[in-house]
Parts: sequence; C-alpha cells; structure tokens
Amino acid sequence: MSDTSAFPPPPDVAGASLSGTEPYVITAEENAALCRSTGVEPDADGQAHPIYYYIATQVGMGVTVAGMCEICEFDIEEGPMMGQSSVTFERPLMTGQPYVVTGQILDLTRKPSRAFGVMDLLNYELRLSLPDGTPVVASRNSWALPRRELAKQETAK
Amino acid sequence: MNIGDILPPFRIASVDPEAMKTWAVALHDPNAIHLDRAAVAAKGLGDRVINQGPANLAYIINMLRAAFPGGAIRSLDVRYVDNVFEGDDVSAGGTVTAIEGGQATCDVWLRAVERDLVIKGMAVVTLAEAPGDGDQRA
Repeated sequence: MSDTSAFPPPPDVAGASLSGTEPYVITAEENAALCRSTGVEPDADGQAHPIYYYIATQVGMGVTVAGMCEICEFDIEEGPMMGQSSVTFERPLMTGQPYVVTGQILDLTRKPSRAFGVMDLLNYELRLSLPDGTPVVASRNSWALPRRELAKQETAK
Repeated sequence: MNIGDILPPFRIASVDPEAMKTWAVALHDPNAIHLDRAAVAAKGLGDRVINQGPANLAYIINMLRAAFPGGAIRSLDVRYVDNVFEGDDVSAGGTVTAIEGGQATCDVWLRAVERDLVIKGMAVVTLAEAPGDGDQRA
C-alpha cells in the first residue's frame, strides 16, 4: 500500500480544545508512590518527578483519553499507541501546586502503515501553567491510531 | 562532564507488574493490557502485562537526574519504539553530545535486554551551577 487515496479522509479535528476545567494538583503521596514504583525516592524539597509533565497534562486535560479518541472517531479498544513525546520545562513541577492545563489537537493525518494497512497519526499539544498564567511545561505528543477496519474494507474490494 | 561521556546507566532488573497498578491509578488509565495477562493474550500481544509508556520514560528521567546532580531537565524529545513487559530487564542510558551555555545535550535511550531498543531520543539538561555561583537550584 503506497498511499491513502483509496480511503476516506480522517475527521477534521485540528483545533479541538483539550483544555482542562479544573487545575491539576500533584499530591505528595502520589508522587512518592510513583517515584518508588520507578526505583527512586521522592525529592525532599517538594519537587515532583518530571514525568508528571505527561501525567498532569493527560489527567488534567478536558477530555479523557477515550474522549480524545472519540473526537478522532477512533475506538480506544482498537489500541492507540504512543509514538513520540516532547516537552520543555520552564520550571520544576512541584507537589501541592495547582496547574492549569490548556491545549488542543494539532492535526490528524491518515498514513499507510506496514503493520496495520492504514493508520492515523494524531498530534496534540498540552501545556501546564501556574494559575497566574506563568508557563511551566509545554508538551507535544504523537499517537498512532491503527485503522484496521479501513484496511480490511479496502482489502475486501 | 565532557562531550562523548557515557552517562551511568539506570537499571530495573525486573519490571514489576505491581508498579503498573500505581501507574494505572496515576494516569487514570484502566487499560487491561497493563493489569491483566489474559487481556494481553486476548489481543495477541503475549502473556505478560505491558508497562505504561510514560513509566518507561521515567526510567530515562531517573538516569538523567542521577547523572546530573543538582541539574534540571530542560527538554526531552523521545520516540517510543517497543513495549516493555513485566519481568523485563531494562536499562536507561545516554551519551553527552554537546555542552553549551550551561546546558548539556544528550542522546538517551531505554533498552530491554531481550529485545533491544524501547525508547530513543534526546535530552537537554541545565547543569548545576558551580559552587560559589549562587545557591539557586535550576
């Protein structure tokens, strides 16, 4: 399969808001449990594990992961896969600090896939800021959404 | 720290399925492939539960934080290449590729002993200030 012209275009979801409605707070207890689950002790000065850039944005965004998949007309049971993740930290993440989550879907692109026949590549960005607007984290993630059903339909033609 | 230096590895000798329960709660992610071997088998993905991707990245972060005491991760850019399963022996590592403006740029990775590369990418770490330069932790 060399192109996706035989398939319908993906839904136009660019710009869909992922902004949260309530600030996200990293609790000291959860941070401690999470740090220990990865083989390290939590920082004594209240710094949260930097991986909370991903956790806080995912949990604090305005939709669930299943909801984000629904926006893309994709059933989460089909198994979305993490592709890439990037983040820039403006300051350390701290336990007990409320963070405002904002973000949006950047694009959804249909692509040929050796593994699945066809897949959609979802790009979205999420940010954490202090309640006064001070930026803390900017992240961008890419997920692969395998479209096995589309590939089966094309094969059956 | 110099260009070409190899960062001390961070190893998890056996990925613990109990830890995946902690991550499922933190991520609000009830996906059964992280919790139930039967669910993994039903999807044709093997017979061991699959570690959450961010947990794998956390091992790389642990490696960086240990390699640069007092420093701070400025940015990360990674690609997820493969899964990590319960019981896997994984090791995070890296090399310094540039040092400029008080920051070190590093190639980073996570490898599983049985299947090789799991994550690869790049990190920029703000280096700790030298003694006497101030007491602010970056």
